[in-house]
Amino acid sequence: MEDLVQLSIAQGCATITLRRPDARNALDFPIIQALADAIARTAKRIKENSNEIRVVVLAGEGKSFCAGMDLKAVMHDPIQMGQMLRQLSMTLLALRQLPVPTIARVQGAAIGGGCGLIVVCDFAVTHPEAKLGYPEVDLGVCPAVVAPWLIKKIGAGPARAMLLCGGTMKGDEGFTRGLVTHCSPIDQLDATVATLVARLVTGGPHALACTKKMLNDLDGSNDERIAIEAAELSAKVIAGAEAQAHLSRHFSAHSRSNSER
Amino acid sequence: MTSNEHSLVKTESEGRSFTITLNNPAMRNALSTAMFDDLEDAIERATTSAQRDETTVVIFRGMGKAFCSGFDLAECVNDQTMLEQFVRRLGAICSALRTMPAIVIAQVEGPALAGGCAIIAACDIVLASDSASFGYPVHRIGISPAVSLPTLMATVGFGGARQLALSGEIIDAQRAKALGLVHLVACDESALEVQVSTLVKALLLKGPQALRATKLWLNQIDGTSREGFLGSRVDNAIDATAELCAGNEALSMIKDFWNKRKGGS
Repeated sequence: MEDLVQLSIAQGCATITLRRPDARNALDFPIIQALADAIARTAKRIKENSNEIRVVVLAGEGKSFCAGMDLKAVMHDPIQMGQMLRQLSMTLLALRQLPVPTIARVQGAAIGGGCGLIVVCDFAVTHPEAKLGYPEVDLGVCPAVVAPWLIKKIGAGPARAMLLCGGTMKGDEGFTRGLVTHCSPIDQLDATVATLVARLVTGGPHALACTKKMLNDLDGSNDERIAIEAAELSAKVIAGAEAQAHLSRHFSAHSRSNSER
Repeated sequence: MTSNEHSLVKTESEGRSFTITLNNPAMRNALSTAMFDDLEDAIERATTSAQRDETTVVIFRGMGKAFCSGFDLAECVNDQTMLEQFVRRLGAICSALRTMPAIVIAQVEGPALAGGCAIIAACDIVLASDSASFGYPVHRIGISPAVSLPTLMATVGFGGARQLALSGEIIDAQRAKALGLVHLVACDESALEVQVSTLVKALLLKGPQALRATKLWLNQIDGTSREGFLGSRVDNAIDATAELCAGNEALSMIKDFWNKRKGGS
């Protein structure tokens, strides 16, 4: 499990890296568990020593940050699918509740559940050509787990339009629509993250923890009930005939286009 | 009707509009004990006038190059109880501006930072010149902008508030407009003056009862009404911040900041 998600700490910054680059860091059950574990370890270390970790960066190894839920292997197994969604939902909640600022470093694609990870973070840095969004409804799937976080990020009206229309957008449009907080040329992605980290580590840790707690209290981020309900709803929809038919078509089209290459 | 010339806050009432002007440009209109005293007095008079149905629109502005640079740290650096008092007084001012039964317009030139930005975020409509800037650069001195969050989150939405409050970043007027903190950006000070007086005239043509009812209803919906959550939310924020103010983190960070600034200037 250690291999799938790496936690490294340097100069007050903890970096949590998804490491399944061959699958564009798609979220299967083991990687979600490994992510949950890395977040729990981070939270524990902050609790033990509030000076060691002052900011968390969430990153993905390889060409893409995260291609979303890895549905192909489990699409015909509703029980396992439900477990995955519940685990993801609780992991997003735990990520939000880290008492330090969080930054997603987003290169390539952040789609579906991957785009969920970035809107849960306090900041997200991407580049203009990145591919972002929630194409769940295109696949007959309900983006219930990410919806509460997206609403908190961009507001209820824009979130409604974005989730109901599905599809994806480029990084610069994601910046305009509020999905990400920073957009810079890809060769300056690390520099932009570093500048933000440098600013955040100068803040008083108790002061930042106080602000973050207040933000979470006020925007309803601590509502565990919604996180659970969201996973149940999403699991129910995905097990239905409509989603199954859409997903089958999607994956067979995908394997055709892959074998044609 | 014009207030005492020696006051740090000038007030002027003309017809149904009431202007509050922070008037300590040499100190960038910083919130000091004396400034809080005069500002609370001015806000109370504006509120009374609005409650008597003599005022419909309140214009809040700052004299000089800065709207308001936040707390006067000179008073806090050697007396931590002062910091807590300032936070309490700022929280009360944010609540008073938000719940006042008049439309409060902020006219912003130059920086509106920390406590100055909290004042802006509590107003109903914010008009700014191109020179305006906004932000909460307060974590670097070990304090939290928590008292501003109930009104900031209602005004700009949760996402923008999270970014602005946690980053401590100072943003320009155009970015503030994109986030929803600012309603209109004028190219310079005189254009801003024209925009504000145009807006005031337009508002005064409307039904004052309808305007007041609309503002108070919006407060109810976004959780910033006096009867609703605003009071308890601001109280919670004050309690959380008071603990920080009394702690060693804030003490040493303010001292460091102050010494560096004095050394630098």
